[in-house]
Amino acid sequence: MKRGGSILLASLLLASAAAAAPKKVTGYDSLGITTGKPGGTYTLALGDSPQSFNYYGVIDNNLGLVAQQLFDGLVEYNYKTYKVEPALAESWTVTDGGKTYTFKLRQGVKWSDGQDFDADDVVFTYDQIIQNPEARAGDAASFIIGGQRVKFEKVDKYTVRATLAKPAPAFILQMRNFIMPKHKLLKYSVEGGAKSADINTAWGTNVDPSEVVGTGPFKLASYVAGQKVTLAKNANYWKVDAKNQKLPYLDRVEFLIIRDPQAQVAQFLAKNIDQLNISGAQFPDLKSREVAGAPFKVVRSVALFGSPPFLAFNFDAKDPALAKVFSDVRFRKAMQSAINRDRIIDQVYNGLAGPPGHGVAPANTAFYANTKAQLGSFSLQAAGAALDAMGLKDTDGDGIRNIARGKNLEFDLTYGTDSSVYPPMATILQNDLKQIGVKVNLKGILASRLLSTGQSGNWEAILHAFGDQPDPELRKPIWQPGGALYYWHRDLLPAKDGDTPNIKAMFPWEKQIYDIFDEASTATEQSRRKALYTRWQLIFAQNLPVIPIAKPENIGAISNNFGNYIYNLGVIPGYNPVPLIYQK
Amino acid sequence: MFVFFIRRLLGMIPTLLLISVVCFTVIKLQPGNFTDQYLEDPRFTKETVEAITRQLGLNDPAWLQYLKWLWGVVTRFDFGYSFANSRPVISMIGERLGWTVFIAALTLLATWIIAVPMGIYTAFNRHRAPAQIANFLGYLGLAVPDFLAALLLIALVLSLGGTNVGGLNSPDFIGAPWSAAKLLDLLNHLWIPVLAVALEGVASLMRQMRASTLDVLGQDYIRTARAKGLRGSVVVWRHAVRNAVNPIISLAGLSLPTLISGTIIISIVLNLPTIGPQLYEALINKDQYLALTLLMLSAFLLLVGNLLADLALAWADPRVRYS
Repeated sequence: MKRGGSILLASLLLASAAAAAPKKVTGYDSLGITTGKPGGTYTLALGDSPQSFNYYGVIDNNLGLVAQQLFDGLVEYNYKTYKVEPALAESWTVTDGGKTYTFKLRQGVKWSDGQDFDADDVVFTYDQIIQNPEARAGDAASFIIGGQRVKFEKVDKYTVRATLAKPAPAFILQMRNFIMPKHKLLKYSVEGGAKSADINTAWGTNVDPSEVVGTGPFKLASYVAGQKVTLAKNANYWKVDAKNQKLPYLDRVEFLIIRDPQAQVAQFLAKNIDQLNISGAQFPDLKSREVAGAPFKVVRSVALFGSPPFLAFNFDAKDPALAKVFSDVRFRKAMQSAINRDRIIDQVYNGLAGPPGHGVAPANTAFYANTKAQLGSFSLQAAGAALDAMGLKDTDGDGIRNIARGKNLEFDLTYGTDSSVYPPMATILQNDLKQIGVKVNLKGILASRLLSTGQSGNWEAILHAFGDQPDPELRKPIWQPGGALYYWHRDLLPAKDGDTPNIKAMFPWEKQIYDIFDEASTATEQSRRKALYTRWQLIFAQNLPVIPIAKPENIGAISNNFGNYIYNLGVIPGYNPVPLIYQK
Repeated sequence: MFVFFIRRLLGMIPTLLLISVVCFTVIKLQPGNFTDQYLEDPRFTKETVEAITRQLGLNDPAWLQYLKWLWGVVTRFDFGYSFANSRPVISMIGERLGWTVFIAALTLLATWIIAVPMGIYTAFNRHRAPAQIANFLGYLGLAVPDFLAALLLIALVLSLGGTNVGGLNSPDFIGAPWSAAKLLDLLNHLWIPVLAVALEGVASLMRQMRASTLDVLGQDYIRTARAKGLRGSVVVWRHAVRNAVNPIISLAGLSLPTLISGTIIISIVLNLPTIGPQLYEALINKDQYLALTLLMLSAFLLLVGNLLADLALAWADPRVRYS
């Protein structure tokens, strides 16, 4: 509440200065942000056609990329610090021991069709869409706190109150959800007389663009199936720059639909695309072109967001002998010593990655605890000695260690084949482990099937990655033992979602982590939460539920025609620096 | 003839039914679920999986899902909804059919225009150097996959400073009304896919044409034609080609389904708004009705293509008669 309080104070000061205050975007000099000039068209790539224009109708990354230019949430991230700051809500207070959130909405904000934005839209969005369990891309589960649905009420035209059954400090982060126009979507909602699943059919890709109304910096202008999405400046946008010039600067944002990453690079080189996020593998070519005088810059940035790959072992592997070995922390530590992180960073990422954190990105100043010492160093001798000490020795002289008499220490490593990083990583691991008498059989699957394979339990070891977020609470289902995505120890899963997991089956360190997440999810003091999550990271680093491998940097390429570029991973609701971009 | 036509048309119905059953079974046997692709999203919970499964009717046993789909097709010509897009499959396909047919027809045409004369030429002049060179180039085209050829062409265009590296139009022209400039821009983009796909098809078609022409060349009636002093061109076109073209016509019928499936990879590489990538996505993500309908369309085109080829054969060759 301390945090909320200080923001509240700042916002109240702002609010008292002007009643209908647009948000002034300042303080990013250190990111190289200057005053821009209006005009210009900015062209980006989209990996596939959007499946709808209704953000809550379908989970679709391409839709998300478009939608974040069309809509805003009540709060958003600071571009530099990743702290939560006001957006459509000008301020908020947290009372009743962290159980009541009262949002003062920004007055004078208009939808792109000229209608007023007010509390009705906010209550409608949360109550009728996000909390609608039939909305395919809604988020009903996150709004059941303490077993009860969060209640959203309109207090007056510009005040909204949310009531929680128990304190949840990360709740404010959920307020980044995009607010939708009630006057356009009412007819697809239960309140408007429709069936609850009907919301999914709103704003299909064949919708009249003028129907898709938002508060965001841009509005939908046209869509040519399979080819291009065009957005035009929203003249009603509520942000201004340091000199009170209206944002966004750009007149148009265009998304060219290009599936193949190589084709995207070709289009970038042909100057048909102005900005492109690239991988470490593509970096050397583009960078050498930049150095040779090509009219673009390749920008590296240390990433908070982004997915650091890890190696996981199935504690509940079908083979009981393997399951026993995998559950042994000595084995996982031995495997960690056999992971040549430097080589992977060098060869797989072209040096564009750093050592990983444990569940928290090293760039996350609010929560990261320095666990670098626990990463250890690469040593096949040490790994071999540790396996020897566990009694896993080669007893039959075939060059492979034995788990039991006549049974080799041999397992399948599942990885994604359609990725630039997993296949070389898997090969490096396989070769290094072979040298210490551990036989790895590579098992390639589609990267999009990694999670479902993990959750099926039908694997032995796996290379996978989950995205980092600013607040560990947002990643609780992954890292809290017994969580829905904690798939390396599925024995802990509760019989029904939301029930208490199988605590008896937890290792002592897992129980500790479990308790930490439980306490942190309701602790309201930031210092207490930081202390708890620090302990979690240390326990994680010592016990290695999974073995993190590296944290890739983010790399973006941007045409020299544009200024004020800030790296933008993709769809992170509440993190959209595009309004600041201007054409030189 | 008419009776034959009607009989063939009716014969298609059980074939199509059987194909649809097989396709649906294969789609269903694929491991995984439509919802798997979403699991990594933090918003996605078990409840959402259940809600979506219920909304999409995936709770029903597979045979019931199939029968419901079939009933919709038969009674309302409704081919179901695309799971991913929440839109009728028909409108999704319709959106892209125009460009798909246009591009595929153009590449087919280009293949034929290059391959047939080359086949004839290499048959008549098989011992000369130009024919050998043509053969070699044909094989090269066959050996290089179309998407690789497309990538090479893109690299070439890029290194020459061009900007027409994929898509059908420059960004400015996409969605703009038609004009001479847009048409020019389209042609400037179109030659890459047409050339890349056509090159691959040329070799096999050319060899076919060459082989069947060679067969015919040894026949008595060619010798007779030559002996009675007919002009060379008359011997070639009226006597040799007319007879050699029959297998090629059958081949043409078989190539109709490539309108759908022939351009999948190149459409992805060259970023063309065709049905190919849609089919690929639908199969990968188990968007079952979209995948099924596209496969059915492909099968239907194969049957129609065969029928048309048979009819064309009867027209081209007086010896072929159906009764």
